[in-house]
Amino acid sequence: MPVNSFEDEVFLTGIDSNVLKRIFSFARPHRKWIFFFLLIILVTTVTDAAMVYINKIMIDQAVIPGDLRKVIGFLELYGVMIVFQAFSVFGFIYLAGLISEKISFDLRQKMFDHLQTLSLSYYTVTPVGWIMSRVNSDSVRISDLISWGLIDSAFSTFNILIATVFMMIINWKLALVVVFFFPIMVYIGWQFRKRILKEYREVRRLNSKVTGAFIENISGVKVVKSFQREERNLKEFNQLSQPMFRSAYRAARWNALFLPSIQLISSIILAIIIWSSDWQVSGGLMTIGGIQAFVNYTLSMMWPVQDLARVYGELQQSIASGERIFSLLDTTPSIQDRDDAYEPEHFCGEIEFDHVNFFYDDGDRRNVLTDFSLKVNHGEMIALVGSTGGGKSTIVNLTARFYEPKSGEIRICGRDYREYTMESIQSRIGMVLQTPYLFSGTIRENLRYGRLDATNKEIEQAAVKVGADDFIRKFPNQYEEQVGEGGSLLSVGQKQLISLGRAVLADPEIFIMDEATSSVDTLTEHLIQVGMERMLEGRTSFVIAHRLSTIRRADRILLIEDGKIAEEGSHKELLRLRGKYYHLYTSQFREEKEQESSGTII
Amino acid sequence: MVKNSLFNLKIEEELPVLDYRLNRSGKRSRLSGILNTMTGFRLRFLFAVCMQVAATLCKTSVYLLLAWFIDTWLVGGDHSVPLFLVGFAFIGLSLVEGFSSFQANHQANYTAERVALRLRNNLYDQIQRLSFSYHDKVDTGDLIQRVTSDVDAVRRFFSEQAIGIGRIFFLYIINWVAIARIDLQLALTTMVIVPLIFVMALFFFSKISKSYEAYQVQDAQLSSLLQENLTGVRVVKAFARQDYEIEKYRKENEKKYKLGSKLILIESLFWPSTDMLCGMQIVISFYLGASSAIAGRITLGEFIAFQALLNWVIWPIRNMGRLIVQMSRSLVSFERVNTVLAEQQEELRQGEKAPEPFLSKQITFDNVSFSYDGKNKVLDEVSFTAEAGHTIALLGSTGSGKSSLLALIPRFYEYQSGSIQLDGMELNQIRKEDLRRNIGIVEQEPFLFSCTIAENIAYGVERDVNREEIMQAAKDAAIHESIMAFEKGYDTLVGERGVTLSGGQKQRVALARALLKNPRVLILDDATSSVDTDTEVEIRTALSRLMKHCTTFIIAHRIQSIMHADLILVMDKGKVIQSGTHDTLIRETGMYQRIFDIQTRIEANLEKEISDAG
Repeated sequence: MPVNSFEDEVFLTGIDSNVLKRIFSFARPHRKWIFFFLLIILVTTVTDAAMVYINKIMIDQAVIPGDLRKVIGFLELYGVMIVFQAFSVFGFIYLAGLISEKISFDLRQKMFDHLQTLSLSYYTVTPVGWIMSRVNSDSVRISDLISWGLIDSAFSTFNILIATVFMMIINWKLALVVVFFFPIMVYIGWQFRKRILKEYREVRRLNSKVTGAFIENISGVKVVKSFQREERNLKEFNQLSQPMFRSAYRAARWNALFLPSIQLISSIILAIIIWSSDWQVSGGLMTIGGIQAFVNYTLSMMWPVQDLARVYGELQQSIASGERIFSLLDTTPSIQDRDDAYEPEHFCGEIEFDHVNFFYDDGDRRNVLTDFSLKVNHGEMIALVGSTGGGKSTIVNLTARFYEPKSGEIRICGRDYREYTMESIQSRIGMVLQTPYLFSGTIRENLRYGRLDATNKEIEQAAVKVGADDFIRKFPNQYEEQVGEGGSLLSVGQKQLISLGRAVLADPEIFIMDEATSSVDTLTEHLIQVGMERMLEGRTSFVIAHRLSTIRRADRILLIEDGKIAEEGSHKELLRLRGKYYHLYTSQFREEKEQESSGTII
Repeated sequence: MVKNSLFNLKIEEELPVLDYRLNRSGKRSRLSGILNTMTGFRLRFLFAVCMQVAATLCKTSVYLLLAWFIDTWLVGGDHSVPLFLVGFAFIGLSLVEGFSSFQANHQANYTAERVALRLRNNLYDQIQRLSFSYHDKVDTGDLIQRVTSDVDAVRRFFSEQAIGIGRIFFLYIINWVAIARIDLQLALTTMVIVPLIFVMALFFFSKISKSYEAYQVQDAQLSSLLQENLTGVRVVKAFARQDYEIEKYRKENEKKYKLGSKLILIESLFWPSTDMLCGMQIVISFYLGASSAIAGRITLGEFIAFQALLNWVIWPIRNMGRLIVQMSRSLVSFERVNTVLAEQQEELRQGEKAPEPFLSKQITFDNVSFSYDGKNKVLDEVSFTAEAGHTIALLGSTGSGKSSLLALIPRFYEYQSGSIQLDGMELNQIRKEDLRRNIGIVEQEPFLFSCTIAENIAYGVERDVNREEIMQAAKDAAIHESIMAFEKGYDTLVGERGVTLSGGQKQRVALARALLKNPRVLILDDATSSVDTDTEVEIRTALSRLMKHCTTFIIAHRIQSIMHADLILVMDKGKVIQSGTHDTLIRETGMYQRIFDIQTRIEANLEKEISDAG
């Protein structure tokens, strides 16, 4: 079945108190306010129960004796309590809501901040979708638990306790009967909730698959049609949608059965009150108002039970959320500044790889670079060629210190680059990638990303230098044109030019260009070549390119194969060698020229 | 259609895939649309509503019984009815109420879930049967929203809103009538504030939904900011812009916090203020009730019952406001779902059966013109004949009409004038199903499904395919080696959760997928553009061996890829400007010759450069 989804929901059935403790540590800064709203809730529940009790006294002492003035007195008190109640309700909803927003704000920010420190190796193994749900949904679950979950459970617990106290005051024997039934209610409530949760999880799991199936069916509709998969696809889809229906319905049925069962128990309590009323009332132990109050207390006890069962279910989910959040926050960046790292005053473009070994942690841990040594002089332009997977990008990644060597050393300006701060290295390296990434916003904002304090004039000069100014000026909003999410409103070639401009504006000592102009048309490439050449003069640069014109320009060409330098030298030297470079060059030459010609002629 | 009796729902049984077809075009009113969607469940839903009435009646009866008990038993001292019977009456009423409300809820939910299932399956089928012209203009994100969240809104309409509104409505009516039976004047007094509360709730919920939307928009904004940061992590790191990013995120995060705080303020004002209104109503009613009781107009028991019934008249009204606002949104969702279902499906089985054996003679284009929008001609009087088993190559710039021409053959689009004939039969008379079964297509950017490579290759074949066949197809498409290099080989997952294939690898998997289908017509739409030259030669050799009896159409840019074709069509602006074989075309003055000349010149240049280097 064509389905794409990242199933990341792991469900726990137990409750881990350590995680819980850590979750509630997020509440610590707000503990004064939390204490305050718990207090308000306590007062509210007391008022609630007291109002029922006042009604009892009113019936017994005013309505039955027929004293209307006393009734008015009681109702005045009742009215005051209602107003008081309204203020309390406002207080705790507002407080809890604010705390909830604040905690989720803090959690999101904390995760985001932490994410910025994590190394690239983390991002290559962790799907973006996974991180997104941690930051977006799990944070809300935690903040909801601390605020609303706490309110609901406090409210329910207080409600039950205080109602019991009042019932005790009215008639302690009957109150004991109610208290006896209470655990039964909670048990049944929990049993139901467990089953409902189980089905809901299944529904959620299937739902993400159903959505995935829809997405594939829409994006792959051409294939579906040309391979005539309509009927089989529908049948396969039905294998998802029907189980989803079943689980959803089962959950609904448990839900529909839940309340009546609790209700039945309270009606049994009610019957017991009725049965006992004979000797209670005639014996003077219970008044009519008392019976009415008891009925009210018992009937209103169903809701807290329901809430408690629900909160318990949510608690489990929140703990799972908490664990995932902590797993993110506990990840330490694999590359960190040393404690004594410093920012060098003087920086040069002399780079040396000294017996470097490297492999990626997520793959099969085979060496990508083996005993790799290379010395690049200041101002030299190095072209890296060779087939995919040979190690070209790895060299570049190591130079930018996105990764560090597993053994051996990389020296910049004669010193192991781990002695410098990461920021000092990365702010001096300009990188332009084949799949350029722009941030949504205007073209100007994207260019400015290279140097935040650049003036508008400098930005436009950089654009002119890389040949982007022409097409930018053609947009209706020129430099203020929106680029869309990820730059989706621009062509790849345009994006490449803007990201090149961004790097030029940064004015780095070392330039790294990974297929940076592969999608730029030939004419534009010729145009910017002169400007770029002037730019690169006196700066060290690494260029990974397919275009021969770029390669030929390099001071030194390295043919990288299986993590080693297979051939090395200038263009002419390598051609004379009649080796791998020669082969690569000739076939590339034909391909390129053909494409060029088909571009201009056809 | 599976008939389930009301009480014996065999939900474990397999249901038919499409129990009712919803894709009837034509406009209908909203109500009849909803009723149509509910076909087969209408009585059940009505039953659910009736059970809701029954449950409410029971609830009200409990309080009336309590009133009777207090008046007769406790105050009146009339013990003619045994006490245990009264107790059991309470339990009995609660049993009936429980049963009724269970029936009401689960029947409504059953209806809702079945309707959702029906909608999902119908939509899924609809999507794959809509024409290409529909898919060309539709916005994918919007369509996905319609089939997921809009369907869910329709589901909630049946399971929560319709039944919830009914519940509150009956609660109000029945309890009000019960109060009116006790004392009409008391009942009338409740009519003063309750409508006010209702109007307030309605106003509030439609108002808060706007603030909520603003909050949601900000949430989406924040989320895409995060996504961009994560996707663009290399750029962030390359420019060491972490602090800048953190500041950017904090700003938006704060905005969300502020909107959220505003939202919570509105909400925390609404509930207590309506609380107060409801409380006022209760105090007034209590006073009137108590004075009636003291004056002897109503009994003590009736007063106590009145107090309880009053709660059921007042409090639920606030939720009525919420449900009505939600319902109006669900109905909009329903419309959105319905417009998808109302679209005309592509008829796959209409027309005559394809001639057998399929394509034994030729495909002829005779003055064929075609346009996507009815205005701009994409193909302009194209004529040529493709003999069975031949290879036909198309050469031309982007937008010259090559791909459009090939899209006409499987009838993805219909030509507007001229004639295409397949073995003498007019193409648009032949059933699409028959055509497409015999045509294999490989595109420049092929779509692979997120399942294993083996499943992707076997995608187009209906029978069970064994591993050898799949491997053979993969070998023919020159992708076998690359597949074996993966740790899990053919069982490697493709897509988001699996490996990312390169453009060339994707193209070759797609080619294997088309080859396994063993088509009579093979369409290669720039299908090897990302494959390197050596591999391309390998593929071409395999194809010429396999495709002897297969008519092949190729779109390519390199002369080498097409020079062996039996017929080469050079296209420009929707017209065929040159046609012939490689040998005839290089002698003709024209575009083909120019391209060929350039290629020869390239070779010469290369020779020169190498000799220059020494």
